[in-house]
Amino acid sequence: MADKRDMVQIESLEKYFGEDKERVHVLKGVTLAIPEGSLYTFLGPSGCGKTTTLRCVAGLERPDGGKISIAGQTVFAFGERVYVPTNKRPIGMVFQSYAIWPHMTVAENVAYPLTIQRRPKDEIRRKVGDVLKVVGLDGLEDRPAPKLSGGQQQRVAFARALVNEPKVMLLDEPLSNLDARLRVQMRSEIKALQRRTSITTIFVTHDQAEALAISDQIAVMHGGKLIEVGSPHQLYTRPKRKFTATFLGLTNLIEGKVLEVDGDSRPAKMETKKGVLSFMPSTTLKKDQAAVISIRPENIPLHKEKPQNLGNVLEGTVKEAVFMGDAYQCKVAVGDDVLAVHTHPFNAVNPGDKVYLYLEPGSCNGLPADDTEGVDESMMGD
Amino acid sequence: MKRFNSQTLILIGATLFVLYLAGVPLVMLLYGSIRSAPIGEPGATYTIQNYIKAYFDKEFYLLLLNSVYYALGTCTLTFLIGTFLAWVSERTNTPLKKLFVVMSLIPFIIPGILSTISWILLLSPKIGLINLAVKEILRLESAPFNIYSMWGMIWAESIHLYPLVFLLMSAAFRNMDTSLEEASLSAGSSMLNTFWRITLPLMRPAMFSVLLINFVRGIEAFEVPALIGVPAKISVFTTKIFLAIHQFPSDFGLAGAYAVTLLAISTIGVLIYGKITRKEERFATVTGKGYRPRVIDLGAWKYATLGVSFLIFFLAVILPVFVLLWSSFIPYYGVPSRELMSKMTLANFQYILNYPLAMTAFKNSFYLSVGSATLVMLLTSMIAWITVKTKLPGRALLDNMTFIPIAMPGIVLGVSLIWVYLTLPIPIYGTIWVLLLAYITKFMPYGIRAASASMIQINKELEEASLTAGGTWFQTFRKVILPLLMPGFTAGWIYISIIALRELSTSILLYSYNSTVLSIMAFDLWEGGQYTYVCALGVLMVLLLLVMAFTARKLGAKVGIAE
Repeated sequence: MADKRDMVQIESLEKYFGEDKERVHVLKGVTLAIPEGSLYTFLGPSGCGKTTTLRCVAGLERPDGGKISIAGQTVFAFGERVYVPTNKRPIGMVFQSYAIWPHMTVAENVAYPLTIQRRPKDEIRRKVGDVLKVVGLDGLEDRPAPKLSGGQQQRVAFARALVNEPKVMLLDEPLSNLDARLRVQMRSEIKALQRRTSITTIFVTHDQAEALAISDQIAVMHGGKLIEVGSPHQLYTRPKRKFTATFLGLTNLIEGKVLEVDGDSRPAKMETKKGVLSFMPSTTLKKDQAAVISIRPENIPLHKEKPQNLGNVLEGTVKEAVFMGDAYQCKVAVGDDVLAVHTHPFNAVNPGDKVYLYLEPGSCNGLPADDTEGVDESMMGD
Repeated sequence: MKRFNSQTLILIGATLFVLYLAGVPLVMLLYGSIRSAPIGEPGATYTIQNYIKAYFDKEFYLLLLNSVYYALGTCTLTFLIGTFLAWVSERTNTPLKKLFVVMSLIPFIIPGILSTISWILLLSPKIGLINLAVKEILRLESAPFNIYSMWGMIWAESIHLYPLVFLLMSAAFRNMDTSLEEASLSAGSSMLNTFWRITLPLMRPAMFSVLLINFVRGIEAFEVPALIGVPAKISVFTTKIFLAIHQFPSDFGLAGAYAVTLLAISTIGVLIYGKITRKEERFATVTGKGYRPRVIDLGAWKYATLGVSFLIFFLAVILPVFVLLWSSFIPYYGVPSRELMSKMTLANFQYILNYPLAMTAFKNSFYLSVGSATLVMLLTSMIAWITVKTKLPGRALLDNMTFIPIAMPGIVLGVSLIWVYLTLPIPIYGTIWVLLLAYITKFMPYGIRAASASMIQINKELEEASLTAGGTWFQTFRKVILPLLMPGFTAGWIYISIIALRELSTSILLYSYNSTVLSIMAFDLWEGGQYTYVCALGVLMVLLLLVMAFTARKLGAKVGIAE
């Protein structure tokens, strides 16, 4: 899978925390490749290993197994005892707390990567000026760091990470300390900045909306393992793993057993408690395999009368209908289960209504029910 | 692997150095206490004779009783005074409470030997100013107070030691999350009930640890027992050890046996203290947030608390300072009168400055104080970095080793170091270097405490940001960690330089003519009965301390974060 155009390659990364009895296995063979110039997101719930993976790339954590290379240079290889220290890696990093040194001014903070290399004074001044302009902080050079707002501190952190023209930018939940409005604004600024500089960027977040909005590629992680890699669109519309389907956005899962299957991209049939349903396999499924159908609430048209000539229709009763402005968010009881359905706001529904749900087969993603296995090579992003 | 090269090197270097400083004296003390003859003498054998001699002496149990009585009295009295002031200044609306901190810090600056002398000058039955004045006013036959008694000793010690309690308890009051109390109040509990069921249990660990630390300080105190206890014939461990060595011929073995006993007592105290404070951390009432303490409106009572507080400050600060100043300007000691006032003179200061040893003592004290404070803070900053920021194996051991000397009373350290440098082929015995090593050993625990406390405050990401920016470990330490550490570094430096300048109990066993320090000079002058000269020397010492503390503040602020 090694590709010349992959800026960062991670192979079978292993990491443990703690000693002896309290030892925790935090990374379990993470393998992934980050294409040059892309904005690549590690997404997962807290404790999934995303930050640890990032810190391994930075060299701030030393893995207990595996291999990492940046721009073709091996920076860590467990077997060969290769370990390039953090300060020798071609990286720039933005920390969750921004880590702006309070005893320095804005300019001193930003200039630090250059001053410790003893670059000429005028070069430093020029580069610091340029990069501050890029992040929109020109004019604030002499401001002491503690006198900055949260948003400004973050810009300083970006400027400091950018000033030395790193091969890879590492962003560790950089938006989590900002308030909601600023977060959305900075999100698009980061994206624009990354487009402009086309520096390969790794972005760590637990916020799925943020990941969808910003990324070229997302690596979904869970329990120290890589679950799935793909573009935001791919992962949302055609997740290959049950965890991805449930973690990214809201979805309904209907359990069953594969009845008929004919290749990966042909309609198939599944036996469920609600009868036989048609679906599209998202990944390779075998006949008789335990599987689930995942369908998003917004992909379920709701009918007041039973649609004629359509399969995949379930009959149910509205339990709850919350008007959200852009949609009704309904809970519909179908047998023992409750499905979430979002309908058009003009289509008024009330609790107690008898309704018919059309599960359009193309929106029904068929996934393996059993989600304990790690990801295999064939599922990796292409 | 490469990354830890410099770190591992520092860890190994620091460990060896700390082991040498803290471990070797301990081993040598134990070794010395089971030798039959003084060091260097041929034909010495292993023996338990020293311990038999010590423990089968009737006097030993009197000694033990005295020491414990003295330490208990001291920790109780300091606790009452310090906690009262802390509560008043942190949790009540008593006026002028901002002055409290300053007033409570002044006794810190006054060396223990001077404070003891001032109280003798105030409460001695023959020459004590208070005694003379009260006798005069009430027309009494005999002096109402006698400093040469157990309670006199406890008083003189407590009025000097209470600032520590004040600071620790203030911090405990301040760091307590008052929303815990407010939750109780809003749950319908009364103020008093809240105090008993919430405030007190939350404060309990802090209170126990404060009591314990003052018990330990009481048991290892030297100045008061030496200056008041010895003439009053009230012996405690520290003075007994001192006398065993200062008699002729010195009984090193006996001193060793007593020293081991004293060490055992203070070690137990320190171990319990460590256990409590660890538990206290788990209590986690301290979260680093700045709570706004809930202030109790005392109504008219606030004038009562103000009055009591100022009475304490009057006794602890104004009287001793006044008596020192007064005595330093008069030709012979006496009650202030118009006649004596007209005779006020600078002769005492002239005498001190022309005293043959004075210049040597000033220089030695200054070098030792600045040198030990700087070296201790540099050493402990590195150790704190290892123990707080790295995951190197062995770091916990290093941390514990750095703390060992806190359990070593000064006089015990002195005895141990005599053994070490009379035995090891390192020719520094009787020089200023042995004092420097002694000071570094003794003050290491204070340094590590200051350094770790501020090291913990430094977010790890600040350091990692430097590494990811391409900084090496040393660049990171110098440009990021050290400046951020500066407030803690300065605070630790000031504290250590102050206690180093007034150090007496260790120095008194290790000094020689050429390595005399100021506190020894004061001790000798006092023993020689030259009261007014001692006071002049004391005033000069305090001035030197003030200048040093002030300069350190200024310098520290320049390097560190401008606030």
